[in-house]
Amino acid sequence: MDLYNRNSLLTRFILALWAIVVLIPILIVVFVAVKAPSELAQGPLSMPASLEWANFAAAWNQGAMSSSLMNSIAIAGTSVITIILLSSAAAYPLSRRKKKWATVTYLYFLSGMMIPFQMTMIPLYKLLGQLNLIGKYPGPIFIYIALGLPFSIFLYTAFFKSIPQEIEESALIDGCGPYRTFWSILFPLLKPVTSTLLIMNTLTIWNDFFVPLLFLQSKQARTIPLSIYSFTGEFVNQWNLIFAAVIIGSLPLILLFLVLQKQFIQGMASGAVKG
Amino acid sequence: MRKYWVDGTFILPAFVVFTVFLVIPVLSSFYYSLTDWNGLNPETHFVGLSNYFKLLTDQDVWNAIKNTFLIAICLTVGKNVLGLTLALGLQGTGRIHRILRVWYLIPVMLSALAIGYIWAYMYSPSDGVINTLLGMLHLDGLARDWLGQSDLAIYSIIFVSIWHFVGFTMIIYVAGLQSVPSEVYEAAYIDGAGRWSMFKNVTFPLIAPSFTVNMIVNMIVGIKIFDTIFVMTNGGPGTSTENLSILLYRQAFSFDRMGYASAIAVVMFMTILILSIVQITLLRKREVEY
Repeated sequence: MDLYNRNSLLTRFILALWAIVVLIPILIVVFVAVKAPSELAQGPLSMPASLEWANFAAAWNQGAMSSSLMNSIAIAGTSVITIILLSSAAAYPLSRRKKKWATVTYLYFLSGMMIPFQMTMIPLYKLLGQLNLIGKYPGPIFIYIALGLPFSIFLYTAFFKSIPQEIEESALIDGCGPYRTFWSILFPLLKPVTSTLLIMNTLTIWNDFFVPLLFLQSKQARTIPLSIYSFTGEFVNQWNLIFAAVIIGSLPLILLFLVLQKQFIQGMASGAVKG
Repeated sequence: MRKYWVDGTFILPAFVVFTVFLVIPVLSSFYYSLTDWNGLNPETHFVGLSNYFKLLTDQDVWNAIKNTFLIAICLTVGKNVLGLTLALGLQGTGRIHRILRVWYLIPVMLSALAIGYIWAYMYSPSDGVINTLLGMLHLDGLARDWLGQSDLAIYSIIFVSIWHFVGFTMIIYVAGLQSVPSEVYEAAYIDGAGRWSMFKNVTFPLIAPSFTVNMIVNMIVGIKIFDTIFVMTNGGPGTSTENLSILLYRQAFSFDRMGYASAIAVVMFMTILILSIVQITLLRKREVEY
């Protein structure tokens, strides 16, 4: 309706201003990343005289980014897929059974949203040390799954309630067992929420700095954020290398987001605000 | 009976991972907070509530609590006001609306670590972008050492965090606004509701669920905030930007006081728990159905 499109002058001003406030830092990152080190001294706003792609190669090599990229992909990939499978499965009976135990279990999971990671970090440090998992994949993966479950179960449960129960009843009559009904009939229907959760969980895990800082310190095991962090210590704030590394580390996620942004926004609408 | 067994297989895997890697560690934190464990020495002593008594008289703790609340309140208010304004402006279906919706979300995709570096560069006093821009606009008088001045640093960090995540708040409001049927607006329009009265009496009550989510999520994020501060100021100058998260990390891993740090963690958890319960109770009351 036309009512929406008539923004006041003030609203338009705020929209434009914020677009610029978002743009400038991102533009600066790109500028600095392609500037020759000598050009940095000419002030942050000068246009790059030539494109210094060597910065990206240097960042890639000095940050050992190929291995941290692989680590990030392996850890984020495994965690996110497991979160989606476990949370959608758990949300199914929790949304369907009108029994007290279902409500209690649901609230048990939901309480996880309030727990700050810091609260668990000291015991986990001890636990992973005892299991000899410091510096190895499984530790962070289990932590990420546990941290990702509450919000994912919350969204899936809300969405399940909008799927009519008749679908399962007719599947049952056609001879589908509960597992087949879930996997072949219900899971595909969850697609909007699944894409939202895919993006959100990937985003959180890919960008997380805290868990790797504690558990993946070695050069072979570290993820992208630790790789970027290593530039401050070892190379005393070489801004063009840091920003080249920032671009390399952020690009996969920005591309994923641009591909999936439509589903992301739709999924938010169908899940997040109806719980 | 068989049905329960089936339900169990659906829930159990999530239940086990969640319990082992989140709930049990939380409960152990409560226990460690009653000990003098230093993280290195396997020998620990049960010291009762003495960590908590020490907390009460620790100036650093009170300073961190003050900063935690200041950050959480400013972030919650800032992100909600700006996020809602942006969402209201982007309700249209035009091309520019769609582009801006995605545009505002791009910072959300960046890590807090990357954001920290970007803004440390923006803020740097001598060759930073902000002071250079102010110079170009002949506003040199406004130039500051944004992260180096102890009364200013915390607000500089708050702004960065708003810049980072306001897109997420916005998109939840956009989703909420989309779920309001347009007939409601039309009816109010026909009834002669003005812009402000439309917002106050129609739009705002109907997007109450988004408001609830945004208030609670932003408050929890604000209390927990770590990476941005760690990278930009690491709590400084002095302790002017030190919040409970940073203090907890320092106590645990710089000073090896795991027991004491666990007590701080418990305080943090209780703060979040109490504020969440208060908010949910207050906010649920004003949600309306349509």
